[in-house]
Amino acid sequence: MIPKIVSGIAGLDELTGGLPENTMTLVYGPPKTGKSIFCYQFLRQTVADGDLCSYLMTDYTQSQLEQQMMAFDWFIHDYIRDKKLYVIDTASGSVGAMQKETKNMMISSPQNPTDIASKVIQQLQDIYQQTQQFRSILDSSTTLFAFNSPILVIRVLKSYIMRIKMAGGTGIITYTEGTAETEIETMLKASVDNIIYLDSETITIEAMAGIRPKSAGYRITDNGIVVG
Amino acid sequence: MAAEIEGRRKTYIPMLDEMLGGGMPAGTSMLFTAMPGVASEVFGCQIIAERMRNDGDISFIYTNTRTPVEIEHVFHRYGWDLRSYLDSGQTFFVDSISPMMGMPAIGKYMIDDFKESEKVVAEAIADIVGGTAVIEDVATLLDSIGVDQTFDMIERLNEVARSNDVNMIYLFTRWNYEKVMLGRLSGIVDCEVKLFSVEEKVVYRQVFAVTKSNWSEASGTKIFFEVLEPGGVRVFIPKLLVTGPYNAGKTTFTHAIAPNTVSVERQTFELFPTTVGLDIGHLDYKGFSADVFGTPGQERFDLLLEPLGREAIGTFIVIDSTKPETFVRAKEMIRMCRTEAIPKVIIANKQDLPNALSPDEIKKKMALWEGVPIVPVSATDEKGLSEALDTLFSLIYEI
Repeated sequence: MIPKIVSGIAGLDELTGGLPENTMTLVYGPPKTGKSIFCYQFLRQTVADGDLCSYLMTDYTQSQLEQQMMAFDWFIHDYIRDKKLYVIDTASGSVGAMQKETKNMMISSPQNPTDIASKVIQQLQDIYQQTQQFRSILDSSTTLFAFNSPILVIRVLKSYIMRIKMAGGTGIITYTEGTAETEIETMLKASVDNIIYLDSETITIEAMAGIRPKSAGYRITDNGIVVG
Repeated sequence: MAAEIEGRRKTYIPMLDEMLGGGMPAGTSMLFTAMPGVASEVFGCQIIAERMRNDGDISFIYTNTRTPVEIEHVFHRYGWDLRSYLDSGQTFFVDSISPMMGMPAIGKYMIDDFKESEKVVAEAIADIVGGTAVIEDVATLLDSIGVDQTFDMIERLNEVARSNDVNMIYLFTRWNYEKVMLGRLSGIVDCEVKLFSVEEKVVYRQVFAVTKSNWSEASGTKIFFEVLEPGGVRVFIPKLLVTGPYNAGKTTFTHAIAPNTVSVERQTFELFPTTVGLDIGHLDYKGFSADVFGTPGQERFDLLLEPLGREAIGTFIVIDSTKPETFVRAKEMIRMCRTEAIPKVIIANKQDLPNALSPDEIKKKMALWEGVPIVPVSATDEKGLSEALDTLFSLIYEI
């Protein structure tokens, strides 16, 4: 049996049996299909399990994440206070360059993958000292594609995925369909272990170790994504 | 190491100048090839900041990854005030990032199309005769304008730099590029310094090594470094830890691998000496230089284990092959050193005794982690020592 972890998305685990541990899952689809909400729910489950989380955010800041989750009545304040959340924020960008950084809250820039990689590794060192089981979220790789040559982003993501998995993590990466060429999308899919597609009505498990491709309906409610 | 030669221009990176015979000849190029995640930009910052401060050097920074404002902030973090040099015109930016991000360019030169890079950078080089140019990041150029185009550009820029006595400093993040391409890149610069990490699941130490130099010997000697804010690149001497249960032969082993070791011991009631302080020695082996710390095995000294483990880059766990009842204690000590995340080798000591268990039997009894090597040793006869060192160093450097 492949060890699985609870995804936190209502109904999804009934469909898949959970996400395989120590793998990377690509969550992709057109804009506004719930990819970020998927991430919030995944984080919410991480909080509930008391696990550490490495969160690379490119489109919102930590306080915006907190607010967006609060809209669903999900609270992460204590989790942040307890230093269980490790954030790399490339959304504040150059305006935030003067902001004070801590081990749990680092600022980087979407066009500087070298710096992002170095900060991911610094945080993973800290996480690894505490646990060999944690979760990671990268929301969204789309922004990286917007600021860098696509092939460079693929290299960066491969390195990122390798680092997370070596340190024992289980993670998700989001991507907005159509932002890169088909060829690049194929390479992106080849870099991850599991692939989940959202199209605003149907969630499709395109690839996952141990199960056949399958799909189910979903909707976005006050409790986030509900599958089935 | 080559003797210092007149006219060499210092890099102000500790140990690097010594390895390069004093520094870089005027007009030469240096490539820093960094594994993703290893600090590289600090090398560029340090070279130009220290040259400006100590030698009144003139310079520019070509950037396609950070905006000038961010770069100024980076310099500030390391303790160098770029602003005053920018104001005085001693340094300037060739800004290839702001226009692409839709922001106003800052600096003397700007590039809004990567294809323009060569022409603009060549003009900038002619502005800083005898100075230093930092080009960051080669990876972005490779993946944006193409491999051949980037190589042609670097070769031509190096020509311009040579005729203007300008040192070119290229920073390159080595993502998963093909080996052939990496070899070609190395071929078109005068000197290559590789920056990489020493790791076990996670990166925990950074290392640099000169792998190519047209003007001095490239020994490949690996120098451990850390980056201080403020302070920049600092080298440090790596520490190896020798730990294990009471009376397993740690001190004998430590003396055997580092003959000048000093020990603090006293006779116990059982009339053999036991370590009550630390065994401290130094080891030079196949170009690798390290301090060796042997811990005492008695439980009352356990408080020493954690701070020692924190500093270590590799651990020998010495066990008495004739005493399986002590193996649990050995595992406990590994945990207390917090050395789960650093390379380690089990030294199955006292193999000269008739009732010694074989490495395979020990492996079974200890229920070892996957991949922790176990080396049979007789420290008193100095047998198995080079195997032990080779095994640990190959883990550390992934040779």
